Amino acid sequence: MKRKVLTAFGLLAMFATILFCLGLPGSKAQAKTYQIGTDVTYPPFEFANKSNKYVGIDIDIMQAIAKEEGFKVNVKPVGFNAAVQSVQSGQLDGIIAGMTITPERKDKFDFGTPYYKTGAVMAVKKGSDITSLKQLKGKKVALKTGTAAADYANSLKKKYGFKTVTFDDSDNMYQDVTTGNSVACFDDQPVLQYGIKHGLKLQIATKPANQGWYGFGVKKGTHKELVQKFNAGLKKIRANGTYDKIVGKYLGTTANSKVKGKTFIIGTDVTFPPFEFANKNNKYVGIDMDLIRAIANEQGFKVKIKALGFNAAVQAVESGQADGVIAGMSITNERKAQFDFSKPYFNSGVVMAVAKNSKIHKLSQLKGKKVAVKTGTSGADYANSIKKKYGFKVVTFDDSNNMYQDVTTGNSIACFEDHPVMQYAIKQGTKLKIVTKPALNAPYGFAVKKGHNKALLQAFNTGLEDLKASGTYDTIKAKYLGADEIKTAAKTSGNSAEDRTFIGLIKQNKGALLSGLQETLWLTVVSIFFATIFGVLVGLMGVVPNKFSRGTSTTLIYLFRGMPLLVLALFIYTGIPSLTGQKIPAFIAGVVTLTFNEGAYIAAFVKGGIQAVDPGQMEAARSLGLPFGKSMRKIILPQGIKIMVPSFINQFIITLKDTSILSIIGLLELTQTGKIIIARNLEGFKVWTIVAAIYLIIITVLTWLSNWVQRRTKV
Amino acid sequence: MSEKVKVTNLVKTFGDNEVLKGINLTVQNNEVVVIIGPSGSGKSTLLRNLNKLEEPTSGSIVIDNVDIARDDVDINSVRENIGMVFQHFNLFKNLSVGENIMLAPVELKKEAKDEAEDQAKKLLATVGLEEKFDATVQSLSGGQQQRVAIARALAMNPDIMLFDEPTSALDPEMVGDVLEVMKRLAKQGMTMVVVTHEMGFAKEVADRVVFVDDGQILEEGTPEQIFEHPKNERLQDFLNKILNV
Repeated sequence: MKRKVLTAFGLLAMFATILFCLGLPGSKAQAKTYQIGTDVTYPPFEFANKSNKYVGIDIDIMQAIAKEEGFKVNVKPVGFNAAVQSVQSGQLDGIIAGMTITPERKDKFDFGTPYYKTGAVMAVKKGSDITSLKQLKGKKVALKTGTAAADYANSLKKKYGFKTVTFDDSDNMYQDVTTGNSVACFDDQPVLQYGIKHGLKLQIATKPANQGWYGFGVKKGTHKELVQKFNAGLKKIRANGTYDKIVGKYLGTTANSKVKGKTFIIGTDVTFPPFEFANKNNKYVGIDMDLIRAIANEQGFKVKIKALGFNAAVQAVESGQADGVIAGMSITNERKAQFDFSKPYFNSGVVMAVAKNSKIHKLSQLKGKKVAVKTGTSGADYANSIKKKYGFKVVTFDDSNNMYQDVTTGNSIACFEDHPVMQYAIKQGTKLKIVTKPALNAPYGFAVKKGHNKALLQAFNTGLEDLKASGTYDTIKAKYLGADEIKTAAKTSGNSAEDRTFIGLIKQNKGALLSGLQETLWLTVVSIFFATIFGVLVGLMGVVPNKFSRGTSTTLIYLFRGMPLLVLALFIYTGIPSLTGQKIPAFIAGVVTLTFNEGAYIAAFVKGGIQAVDPGQMEAARSLGLPFGKSMRKIILPQGIKIMVPSFINQFIITLKDTSILSIIGLLELTQTGKIIIARNLEGFKVWTIVAAIYLIIITVLTWLSNWVQRRTKV
Repeated sequence: MSEKVKVTNLVKTFGDNEVLKGINLTVQNNEVVVIIGPSGSGKSTLLRNLNKLEEPTSGSIVIDNVDIARDDVDINSVRENIGMVFQHFNLFKNLSVGENIMLAPVELKKEAKDEAEDQAKKLLATVGLEEKFDATVQSLSGGQQQRVAIARALAMNPDIMLFDEPTSALDPEMVGDVLEVMKRLAKQGMTMVVVTHEMGFAKEVADRVVFVDDGQILEEGTPEQIFEHPKNERLQDFLNKILNV
């Protein structure tokens, strides 16, 4: 028995060996694998990313060249010195490790075409007052062995009278400076730049000196064909843009030159945790928000986040009011017709959720029932696509909270939502449970208007890759979704610790509510001011004896009184910019909207008020020889205005309330503030009660004021 | 006597409705002309054409040798010389009694305020209401309002006065006061055109009575001719109805 097994094993081994021997020469002919040595950690040229994979400019360039030239590389991060020695001993075929081409090295190495220009700079601890080499006298300076920067420092050592400490890797060298053991360190500029960008607490104190080039090296006199392939490949990747892409990915120097320093307006949803929601301090956070900010930081541009609501944000991008939208937006073919999408940054799927105590657990149980969805989401698309098959009805909501509410109150039996969103909401205390597996796996993408903002899109892609490479992406994701991090997220939104009584909620949100109220009042006052001017003008045009002017007045009143305020607001905010290409700030769009709408009502009662004055008054004035205008001013208007006063005060109150509709274009007035607070703490009933009470208080005060004014004007 | 107003072939239509069908009428200086006729006959429209509160459709209205029917006439300055009194008084409700009278002189003649005030008080005295200078319009009775309206019309020193049924909206006991003021005006030699149903006034004060029916002048003459010897059948009819109620 034992022998039989052994024989079988032996046969198998032989067979394998034969196969191996046959196969090896073949694969060798097709694609030779070179062993390339590199440094352990020399970001951005080589470093291990979160998933312990080696990435960096050197590694990516090497891989790209290998792919271009049809060979394979096996990059070994053995450390700079070890790599140099291994190449010399023939254990490795080549070295790519941010290695500066120097005459000394040329004695031992053959270099390929220089692939990266660099220079040595001195870095000091953040906040240090050392700005020149002269200040180093008698101090300790940290260096990394074998680097060109170390050579540079050593060459200055005597002149400036400093001591050097050497380290074997960059991290320790940096550490030595941040802890204060050394006052400065010398390193290659891109390396330091990258490190500082990623949180290194150092600052660069000198200009790049001793500029040189990085080169790919092989042992002198060997591997000629590899150097040739390297050179040919480098030429190709430089020509086809791959080189720029790689460098840009890590340093953002090439790709983002078009976006650097610019500010982009990014539209997002009001409520879509964990992707976007306002935290306790009313600052927008979430996966989308952190991601776009990190990318912006990475790529050197600025973002202005506008929480417009999903639909408004999408429209704002279409109309050019916003440059891009990041709002947990699934990449669909329909949307691709209107938008250019980034590479997917998140994979989501649609799940069905039901009330906690519900017995529904599959789609077939939905027959004849109502199901809640949120407009424009893939959950809604999914629900609509299967509603016939399963025979349920769909109720549509504009934001997630209302949709959840509809299910918890039992109006709807279930809702469809993106998986992470639903998960997060449940963890935040929404009384629902997920009952299906994610369907319709849909990647989320960042979108810009089709054919526009290419640089921004490219910067996003580059930045995203960079964040993925550096692990920042995973950190962000974990912060909101990771098991441990959910607690942190909950903490930031204060779910457990917050006082959820009315008084507690008012206390916590006092600042936000007050600034919302202020915006509401300011909007009201500015709008009513312009609306009055517009309304009185149009109203007067309606009573002068001129057909054209009266026609214009009637038409304007008809148009603006006949249009729903919401439609008018969206038309002005998103419609007009898409016609003119000119952005309109939301506040101005809001004022214009109210001016036209409320102005039309004012015009109507101005006209009506004037017409309500006994025509005999005008006849009597005219019969005395008073011209029309004078008769109007002296006799008709004073009487008409008295008739108008109650309507005017009424209109003022209506305007105040109507400002709430402008929350649709993202104005942070009282209603929008309420929405945002609820998005965070999901205390819909209490917060809306507070918001309603604030409106009522203000309107009560206004009513008192109006009664007082009316008493004063009565004769 | 010279001609103050000469109306020739005056036609006024409202849409398809021809209200005045070619009126010819002359008013001499210092003459009091009373226009009578059934309701809807066009007498008020005729009167309102004389200061162009109604735009004439065709024909001419020559006042002091100026055809005011033409479009290029400065109607405002023409009206300054034509006082008008309305059936419903039309006092300015937002102004006090005094301000009602002072408005036109101050606004149009740029009279100084105290000057205008003196004149207004004098005018109020002539209509027997000097103590009402500061009163609000709403506090006055109809008869008082109409007398203030006459004072207001006189404030611009017009040389012709038009009265559009000035007593029709008044309680009977108020009528006398208003007619009294009008009689006094007539005696002072004011040129007057009066549309009224007060036949007593017409008999007593009118130099000439004009009977209008269906947009035409059917008969005119002295009060005696009209009331004692009416020739036109419709005038006879009208007088029968009016006087035998």
